[in-house]
Amino acid sequence: MTADGFQMLLEGAWITVWISLLAIALGVPLGLLFSLIRVSRLPVLSQIITLYVSVGRATPLITLVLFLFVALPAIGLDIDKYTASVLTLTLNTASFNTEIWRSTYLSFPKSQIEAAQAMGMTRGLYFRRIMLPQMFYTALPALLNEMTFLIKASPAIAVVGIVDLTRVTNRIASQTYEPLPPIIIAGVIYMLSIGSLVRLQRVLEDRRKRYASA
Amino acid sequence: MARPDSDPVLKALNITKSFGALQVLHGVSLEINSGKTVSILGPSGSGKSTLLRCINWLERPNSGEIYLDGEPVGRHPNGELMSDRELAAIRARMGKVFQSFNLWPHFTVLENVIEAPVQVLGVPKAQAIEQAEQLLQKVGLQDKRDVYPYSLSGGQKQRVAIARALAMSPRVMLFDEPTSALDPELVGEVLAVMRDLTREGMTMLVVTHEMAFARDVSDEVIFMDQGEIVEQTTPDRFFSNPETRRAQQFLARYQ
Amino acid sequence: MSDWDIIIQEWPRFANGFLNSVVLFVASTIGAFVLGGLMVNGLRSSRSIVRRAFHFYVDGLRMLPFLIFVYLLYYGLPSFGIKLDAWTAGLLGLVIYHSAYVAEILRGSWDQLPNGQSESAQACGFYGIKMFRRIILPQLILNTAPILGNQLIYMLKDTAFLMIITVQELTYAASSVQSMYFVPLQPFIIAIALYWAVSLLIEGLVALVHRTAKERGFGQT
Repeated sequence: MTADGFQMLLEGAWITVWISLLAIALGVPLGLLFSLIRVSRLPVLSQIITLYVSVGRATPLITLVLFLFVALPAIGLDIDKYTASVLTLTLNTASFNTEIWRSTYLSFPKSQIEAAQAMGMTRGLYFRRIMLPQMFYTALPALLNEMTFLIKASPAIAVVGIVDLTRVTNRIASQTYEPLPPIIIAGVIYMLSIGSLVRLQRVLEDRRKRYASA
Repeated sequence: MARPDSDPVLKALNITKSFGALQVLHGVSLEINSGKTVSILGPSGSGKSTLLRCINWLERPNSGEIYLDGEPVGRHPNGELMSDRELAAIRARMGKVFQSFNLWPHFTVLENVIEAPVQVLGVPKAQAIEQAEQLLQKVGLQDKRDVYPYSLSGGQKQRVAIARALAMSPRVMLFDEPTSALDPELVGEVLAVMRDLTREGMTMLVVTHEMAFARDVSDEVIFMDQGEIVEQTTPDRFFSNPETRRAQQFLARYQ
Repeated sequence: MSDWDIIIQEWPRFANGFLNSVVLFVASTIGAFVLGGLMVNGLRSSRSIVRRAFHFYVDGLRMLPFLIFVYLLYYGLPSFGIKLDAWTAGLLGLVIYHSAYVAEILRGSWDQLPNGQSESAQACGFYGIKMFRRIILPQLILNTAPILGNQLIYMLKDTAFLMIITVQELTYAASSVQSMYFVPLQPFIIAIALYWAVSLLIEGLVALVHRTAKERGFGQT
């Protein structure tokens, strides 16, 4: 493989990285918001979220990104392929994150809330100061796990013409007529980044278990 | 607000509470005067803890009234339920210590103690820290101020929990079996702190299984069984000469 | 002709794509369970070199995106003179890739199974493959039904990736109807609805298995 090929691989990797990171940065808080709407049992809105989670979980990213890329302009929302990709990954990961946040919320120990109530804290205050930080620590391993799935599904965005770390291997092969080397290198890059997330997840899981007893 | 000693700090009138078909409190009333320590004894399932939970409205009683310094708790005199904010303001004036400590694991010891004074009472942080350090010294844990709760022993956790409750300068302290979750060798250090508090004139309502503590420290003993108060008397009379058969059986089992 | 008329006219294309997706999904589910069931024995081998090799392989696969693995089979293998058609590469990819997940899920569950289960089975004269198939595997599946259900949904979704290597599955069908007639909304709405329907079916089955497991007292230790 040529130096040019390496350059292209790095560019593809960079696109995968920034699109995934943006989707994670949007999808984690969005999932929290959706989960709170669900647990609050707000009429209509919470049913919509339930439906969204169920459909979102089942929809392949490739189908969703094609749909959004074609459908949104048709209803007057002009979006480019990058926006469509970020939106797709965000909607997908947020549907999984909604469930992660929801189960974290539902399993939050009542005794912690009672301690806050007994100290004269109002709902908003103890949610912000006592529940949210602890929920974050509890949910983090599962959120990280979902991030690895997001990255593993991200090659789907190639179908709308984005040259990400997976698609770029085709481009390189079409110049060198040697498809195997770029695919292997791309695979190694994926393994390194996902592997480090998995490792981080284990470390945090251990730490969480240690902190849990108060 | 200083009040004459004759007015009770805490008063509960005819509290009833059911969980589904199971009635756990059958019209319980009690009063505590300022500076007194009252122990509530009784077999498990007698409704002691539920009574304590009703007093600061962690559990909503089905009927009855509660007053702190003469002000109603939980319901307005017209029967209307208090808002979250009003309830919080009243609870801020009662300290509660839980059987399972319930420290906040994401805060250090010091942060646990200053959290409510700063966030609820609006005490300036520097002042809250100064007060917290004094309280930690009082419970013998000044050197633990910057560690996280997970690294403490049960007895240390409970002492931090006491300091946390005291930091709100409460009118009354409610203890819900504060030593029941502790290993036997750690019970003493927590009871010692509670003894000091009594001596300093803190008003305390203590649900406990520690007979020695109830006998030596409290001004009054309440014996509960099956959701009602069976005896209410001085510790001397209760321990040397219990009047009811139920109390006699209970004491026979615990001594 | 309205957009929906086009969809009705092109219905055979959807039916065919959906059928292909379902066939891929069912075949790869069976394959992944068989292969995963075999591999879990490697993951728990008493020989540490075997165990470590299987862990390395399973963990490695689980860190790869599905599509890059399919690329490896479809574009990479010809370098070794092995040329697979898109369908074969796709199916093989689904089976091998997801068997790693299945094996890992079953291993986690087997690790928590009391030792007495194998011992009592051995005491009854069971051994080897028969013991695994009749005594161990059913328990592992009952214990992990919800997680396996999630994995099935991932497997279903991964079939859609195969359109990139020109397998004519459901998303491929939707995409071709969309671009042939410039109908922006309906084709993908139908595709998503069909994926959703299959996932609801999977969830229903999982709930059934889970209930059976609970009725028999699983998950109460």
